[in-house]
Amino acid sequence: MESQIKKIHQQLVSKQITCTALVQEKLDLLKQNTYNSVNSVLDTLALELAVKVDAKIARGETIGLLEGIPFGIKDVYMLQGTYATASSDLLKNYKSPYTATAIQKLLDAGAIPLVKENCDSFGHGSSSENTIFGAVKNAINPELVAGGSSGGSAVNVAKEYTVFSIGGDTGGSIRQPAGYNHIYGFKPTYGRISRFGLMAYASSTDCVGPLAKSIEDIRIVLNVMSGKDPKDQTSITSNEISEEAIATSGVKTVGYFKNFIESDAIDSQIKADFLATIEKLKAKGIEVKALDFFKSDILVSTYYTLAMAETASNLSRLDGTNYGNRIEAENLIETYAVTRSENFSEETKRRIVGGNQVLSQGFSDEIYLKGLALRDQISENFSRDFNEVDIILSPVTPGAPPKIGDSLKAPLAMYLSDAYTVGFSLGQLPTLTVPQGTSTGLQITAAKNNDELVLQFANFLKDTI
Amino acid sequence: MNKTMTVDILSSIKGAQPSESVNKLFDVIKNAIPSNATTLNNVNRNCVSVSNLRDDVVIASSAIERQIILENFPNKKNGFLVVAKVIEG
Repeated sequence: MESQIKKIHQQLVSKQITCTALVQEKLDLLKQNTYNSVNSVLDTLALELAVKVDAKIARGETIGLLEGIPFGIKDVYMLQGTYATASSDLLKNYKSPYTATAIQKLLDAGAIPLVKENCDSFGHGSSSENTIFGAVKNAINPELVAGGSSGGSAVNVAKEYTVFSIGGDTGGSIRQPAGYNHIYGFKPTYGRISRFGLMAYASSTDCVGPLAKSIEDIRIVLNVMSGKDPKDQTSITSNEISEEAIATSGVKTVGYFKNFIESDAIDSQIKADFLATIEKLKAKGIEVKALDFFKSDILVSTYYTLAMAETASNLSRLDGTNYGNRIEAENLIETYAVTRSENFSEETKRRIVGGNQVLSQGFSDEIYLKGLALRDQISENFSRDFNEVDIILSPVTPGAPPKIGDSLKAPLAMYLSDAYTVGFSLGQLPTLTVPQGTSTGLQITAAKNNDELVLQFANFLKDTI
Repeated sequence: MNKTMTVDILSSIKGAQPSESVNKLFDVIKNAIPSNATTLNNVNRNCVSVSNLRDDVVIASSAIERQIILENFPNKKNGFLVVAKVIEG
């Protein structure tokens, strides 16, 4: 699909549409939608901003590319004065006192926030069912899950309620719902976009990223949000990616992980479609290498061990005193415990308890520290692979989206469904889901800081398969 | 002195118990055999070097930020925000 941002920009500049009418149309769609993709609609703010854009156009002033473009925000980001619920009971009345850096950059560029989007509570889930706002329904088949945790964001983009949305990806939370709803979703290199103002789940893999319907829109939004931020010391300096730089592909060698494809867990159709894609690449003269990699259960277990440890620590501040909906009890300790017991979901409690298990004395050596060691080995493996190949191509998920209700009954199966996404999170690598190749898309991964090559290859793939 | 704390205390979650599903994940790690001793190559360390630390600066909260913080914590007594209870012995 062509760039929606550029198309709307042209319509605004040529006065084919007004920004107010555009924003009102999208707000109406969001309010009426039956997919449970919305936590709160930002109608007053959005319409105020739209009026300003229209006034600017009427005065004959030049507007920027993102000026007046409506977008959505996963409900784990701060936007001053709006609710930031993390889809949880604990924060259902919490208002953002400040604005996240990534969101501020979009506001500064003139983009218009329409909606705080439904997601798994605190990012804890792969289906967007772990939420107080109702399970998000898949944009293609509403009986199925939207994926998660950025499920609401993916559905809003797929249904064109927003032009693009900003999700958060810790272990696949942008890429997997993008795959389930047939759109693009990008997890950049860790640190490329500041995490300041994103509620922390697992700080060492949390990434901010865009979901959109075209590679060009991903590029535009990525460029605006990227950059080193003094408020996030893990953020890094990066270069702008130009349209020309990703127009033609210099990729000569592509790798894929043998054990992903030879696994018993992969759906036979996804396997066949993936292998057919590999054959098409070979036919285009690209050298394809089958690579060895860690077993899926090791990847999933390493990721969840570290993510749970980090979330147990990050969420300890949510006690009704520092943050959240306090429930008074007879003393301070009880107040903390009752507040957390009543307000956290079962899945969030499961992860906090798991995290405290692995961090506690007697367990940290055999689980947490071993998990850290495995992570280093996984990263070393990636470093070796990228000496051999330019790009790694993978399916996004082993199977099709489950039916709504199934994932909550089987948490282990849900964790294992993240097998193909979590490794790239542990490696902090740039990875894009494209809505091609298999029924839940393909992931394109490059070496750290090579985000440009990912988009370049995505453009090539768009025209090739 | 026995200082063992159970996960419900560590997590401040009443009646919390380890989950069978999560334990299965941890069993995989326990049984994993790291390939060799090259375990601390710092591939993913995101530490900031001392020379690159940002300066300490005091940034005053804006009026709107203060107002929202007050809204988030509506209990107030004699002009102070009320926390659950001040330090207990």
